[in-house]
Amino acid sequence: MPHLVVKDVVAGYGSGPDILTGLSLDVEEGKSYCIVGPNGAGKSTLLKAICGLVNIRNGTIDFEGETLLGLRADQVLQRGICFVPQDRSLFPDMTVRENLRMGGYILKDRNEVERRIDEVFEMFPILKERASQHAKTMSGGQQQQLLLGRALVLRPKVVMLDEPSLGLAPKVSKQIFDSMNQLKDAGITIIVVEQNARMGLGYCDWGCVLDLGKLVFEGASRTVLDDPRMAELYLGTRRTGSEK
Amino acid sequence: MSTDTAIAGPADQTDANRSRRIFLGIIIVATLAFPLLQVFFGGFSYWLHMALFLYMNIAIASSWNIIGGFAGYISLGHNVFFAIGGYSAAILFAYFGVSPFIAFPLCGLISMGFGFIIGMMTLRTRGPTFIISTIALVLLAKILLDNWDYIGGSNGISLPLLDMPVEYVKLPFYYAMLAIAAGSVFLGYSVRRWKFGLGLRAISQDETKAEVAGIPTRFYKTLAFALSGLFIGMAGALWGYYLTYLSPAIFLTILVGAKFVLMTILGGRGTISGPIVGAIIFISANEFFVAQFGATELNIVATGVLLLLVLMFFPEGIVGTLKRNGKLPAILDWD
Repeated sequence: MPHLVVKDVVAGYGSGPDILTGLSLDVEEGKSYCIVGPNGAGKSTLLKAICGLVNIRNGTIDFEGETLLGLRADQVLQRGICFVPQDRSLFPDMTVRENLRMGGYILKDRNEVERRIDEVFEMFPILKERASQHAKTMSGGQQQQLLLGRALVLRPKVVMLDEPSLGLAPKVSKQIFDSMNQLKDAGITIIVVEQNARMGLGYCDWGCVLDLGKLVFEGASRTVLDDPRMAELYLGTRRTGSEK
Repeated sequence: MSTDTAIAGPADQTDANRSRRIFLGIIIVATLAFPLLQVFFGGFSYWLHMALFLYMNIAIASSWNIIGGFAGYISLGHNVFFAIGGYSAAILFAYFGVSPFIAFPLCGLISMGFGFIIGMMTLRTRGPTFIISTIALVLLAKILLDNWDYIGGSNGISLPLLDMPVEYVKLPFYYAMLAIAAGSVFLGYSVRRWKFGLGLRAISQDETKAEVAGIPTRFYKTLAFALSGLFIGMAGALWGYYLTYLSPAIFLTILVGAKFVLMTILGGRGTISGPIVGAIIFISANEFFVAQFGATELNIVATGVLLLLVLMFFPEGIVGTLKRNGKLPAILDWD
């Protein structure tokens, strides 16, 4: 049974046009999903709609049987859905420890947060060594470890990443996806929006292809990657929406 | 905490803490004992005036730092809280006989209450729009007070002198302003350490990221705006009484609001000791230039040039830049 259900969602920014035009998607627990599609397909908007950063004009979004509609981003986070925007979501002028504290910001017990941070330090000793260093002074790979550590502090049920490999070298991108798989191995559901479809689908269980604000087709990543419709969509030979 | 602090060992940290405590102890004793010079020797009235004026500005800069430094929202309208505090005290004194020395905490709370309401409206905006909205707030407040006859309108309102021998009249103001400055710095220090402070700093770096990290950004910003008005309102309450005369022109000019910002930026916004250092340099420099150039407005030009020069070499303010370069003396590193 899916634990995140997006049904016929229509959404857009301010009074602008609809970006999502009736999108439906079922997300099952513990699996990893890669959302791909051409520019303007509504990939990032989908993640923002789920975490309450975009107004939903129509449709429903339910998580574990409860609606997310009308909730603010912090309230969605409290339900266990963590959104990592583009540029990796670190606070560059905060120290490593402060960034980890930000990961557990919604937790009320400060001692529990510190305990979890200690666990992260055990897992990633480099973060402990650099606990007092500003995040912006760390290398791309170390920042990725910090990002992963942050997610672990919160112990979310779902992590949504918006183009995590944007602007990074292939080697660092690979590290990101390896980290993502570690989260999945810990039982966390992953939803990742990725422009590099080959890389994203290569790491995820399930692929979802969006175009013009709708889910065009979906399937096991390997089948999606090999589907001739992918090439057509990316090469711009077909721009219709409703096929699934 | 700087990178250098990170690689400093526990022994270095202990030394730094000890030197900070000694420095703080000396400052507390010196500031408490300073008025005794006037009591026992006389002739220190001007210096008492300068000291209490400095304390007031330290309180203002440290308070402004909560919204402008920690949360990153530049407000040019915090002199409105200064006016609200001043006029609240004047009304309570002139019409109800409550001394400002008793009423000033209440005046601070009134300013804070107004801060909450104003914040709910102005903090719907960000960046330049927010700055402009705070300037509009000053103009609006001035128009309101200029036309409110109950408190004298644009002619202002006079208050009686404190009934004390003239050589000692500044002493109660001195200690009250010292308490307000200490309270304001302590509030900033506490906010910096609270989870709330971490949230404000996250907002200043990236509001969307802060929101998705679970911070109720709107509420935090509004609370920070209101808190920053608390001690400014208290300072305004006593300053009006000290001057024995209040008028909108004293409190509500753009220059007054800009001074609050400049002092904090000069010292280093977002740091604890920055607003103190900024206030000391700004007030000292301005006083020096006033003495040099008299009643001409050249002192404003000279102060402006000095500010430009300092910010050219210390782009993040004096404390902020020294801290970034790992050259901040331990006695000033309170973050």
